[in-house]
Amino acid sequence: MNKSDPQFNQFNKLHHFLSIDGLDKATLTNILDTAEGFTSVNDKSIKNVPLLRGKTVANLFFENSTRTRTAFELAAKRLSADILNIDLVSSSTKKGESLLDTLRVLEALQSDMFVVRHSDSGAANFIARHVSPTINIINGGDGQHAHPTQAMLDMFTIRRYKGSFDNLVVVIIGDIRHSRVARSGIGALVTLGVAQIRVVGPQTLMPADVESLGVVVYQDVNKALADADVVMGLRLQNERMTSATIPSTGEFFQVYGLTPERMKLAKPNAIVMHPGPTNRGVEIAASVADGKQSVILQQVTFGIAVRMAVMSIIMGHGEQVREAEANPA
Amino acid sequence: MTHIRIDNARVIDPTNVFDDNRTLYICDGKLTDHCGDDAQIIDATGLIACPGFIDLYARLREPGFSRKGTIESESRSALKAGFTTVFCAPDTEPVVDSTSTVELIRQKAAIANGARVVPIAALTAGLGGKRLSELATLYRAGCLIAGHADVALDDTGVLLSAMEYASSFDIPIMIRPIDPAIAGNGCAHAGSIATRLGLPSIPVAAETVALARLIELCKSTPHCRLHLSRLSSARAIELVRNAKALGLPITADVGIHHLFFTHEQIDGFDANFHSAVPFRTLEDRDALRAGVRDGTIDSICSDHAPHDKDAKLAPFPSSAPGLSAFDAFAPLLLGLPELLNMSLIDVISKVTSGPARVVAPHQALIETNSELLNTDHYSLDIGANADLVLIDPHAAQHCRRLA
Repeated sequence: MNKSDPQFNQFNKLHHFLSIDGLDKATLTNILDTAEGFTSVNDKSIKNVPLLRGKTVANLFFENSTRTRTAFELAAKRLSADILNIDLVSSSTKKGESLLDTLRVLEALQSDMFVVRHSDSGAANFIARHVSPTINIINGGDGQHAHPTQAMLDMFTIRRYKGSFDNLVVVIIGDIRHSRVARSGIGALVTLGVAQIRVVGPQTLMPADVESLGVVVYQDVNKALADADVVMGLRLQNERMTSATIPSTGEFFQVYGLTPERMKLAKPNAIVMHPGPTNRGVEIAASVADGKQSVILQQVTFGIAVRMAVMSIIMGHGEQVREAEANPA
Repeated sequence: MTHIRIDNARVIDPTNVFDDNRTLYICDGKLTDHCGDDAQIIDATGLIACPGFIDLYARLREPGFSRKGTIESESRSALKAGFTTVFCAPDTEPVVDSTSTVELIRQKAAIANGARVVPIAALTAGLGGKRLSELATLYRAGCLIAGHADVALDDTGVLLSAMEYASSFDIPIMIRPIDPAIAGNGCAHAGSIATRLGLPSIPVAAETVALARLIELCKSTPHCRLHLSRLSSARAIELVRNAKALGLPITADVGIHHLFFTHEQIDGFDANFHSAVPFRTLEDRDALRAGVRDGTIDSICSDHAPHDKDAKLAPFPSSAPGLSAFDAFAPLLLGLPELLNMSLIDVISKVTSGPARVVAPHQALIETNSELLNTDHYSLDIGANADLVLIDPHAAQHCRRLA
């Protein structure tokens, strides 16, 4: 197997957006800067630019999602692309053998870009390795592995409110083990060079050797929050609440819940983030989610500009490949 | 009458602790001390002659999964790799829990004319973990050992019962220790790589908890010959070493790939390294090597798992586990003396006299069933079956990726 990073094409350009892993600070910063430019588009009354006119983006969702799918759809539309929503959750494409077959059929629809969400970790990498090189892939979330556009919109939000990443203390609370949002977020924070990333949660929700990701583990949420600049909550999945990983949502809230009292331990200008949808009274108190420090809804809005940035960057790099394929030397 | 004379071979016979140049004579399938003048002469200068390798765990896939491999294809490829005997996994379809399936496998193997194929009996009917298979019958039919493949036997009562029952007939049993409740849907070692890739993972405790349970059960069934199959962790080696020091009748093996690979190999979601027994850390790999060196590990098996091409063409967690192992086995094995700082004869013992001792049938069985492998004294003695291989240690080895 070719272990080189499948995100880059033969011209060494970012061709797929699968994971934060392997991307350098300049690449991430370029995405954030490009997204800055698009925020003004979103503020205008006519909210689209013709960058992707004539291009087709297919949303391939093998796993349920409304928010992420809608955000990608809107981003594609604002770039003037045609968008195709393909619901693959109910079809019988759960097994690997048929995943390739499904891909071949979707390739035949002659889309330029696939946005993929799948319940298997590594699914987006797999698809990128096996799809025609003329198609760009964006990972819209694969298993417990990565959700890189979420990470970039989180970074965008942090930069907007904090100006830069230097000297920041970022606290991530909750289910790190099963969270692709946490993995991608941590990867981006490490690359962008924050001062410290703290993770807090019970051991049942921590992956093995979590320190190897570049984080410091805290058991006590109060200590973790001391002098924090950014506080990120994570959604506790329903299935965790019914298994042996935590005794009850009530106890979880007691021990780890983000309450107004606890927020007082963080810096006064700290921001509160959450990828949504929130479980109020489980990981976050309603008054914090709706409070002055919360930037949860801004994250959603910034998500459009960030996804426009990622789509336009990799679509541009894809053009080079498509031209090379169409006019072989 | 076939007479063969092998000249100038470096003869390695671990059972007799013999490693020197010697002329070998073979008459009608037996090793002898001389041959007639019409003997075929093989000049084995530069070659190693040793007893044929015995593989305690390989999947031949037939019956049931012949798209992945057949008894013919796999037993022939085993023979080319130096194995004259292969113990085949019972997780076929149907499962090896009846004499008719054993008979089917033996007939197909006889036609294939590759390595000798010895079916491993399924310890429980259908590998269901509830009812015992007819172990005494299966043993008489030629299954020299009973096991449970990669299917966890999580009912401790059934496991104890199986050990007691098997011990009544001196049938060795082979278990790969795995606690399914801890392993869950894991597909990789619980460590930094699985954490970064977000792969459901298998902690070391999934192996060691099951292993500790087996060792305790072994203490209460002192006549059960327990063979621990395909260990993966440093802690498991420590547990087995301690158990052996207590004098328990325990033997153990490791898959050849686990002496070379670590969890680093799965980085980039390389499904080729998705293995049912996960590759763990460098420390684990080094402990497995130390176990081979100090005798904690008795045998090195192939853990051969042939697949059709589609099996690995899926996202990592959905890809089929297992690696094909026969083709690269001998070159890997011959690399071990240098890597492990062991003598060649000691390394070769792990695929000859070592596994032979694990499965050695009792004399009564050999007397009533002459076709069976006589592993009681597996050697190149005069009078022994001419079950031997010639290896060219200098032959260039090329591995090539199939399209």
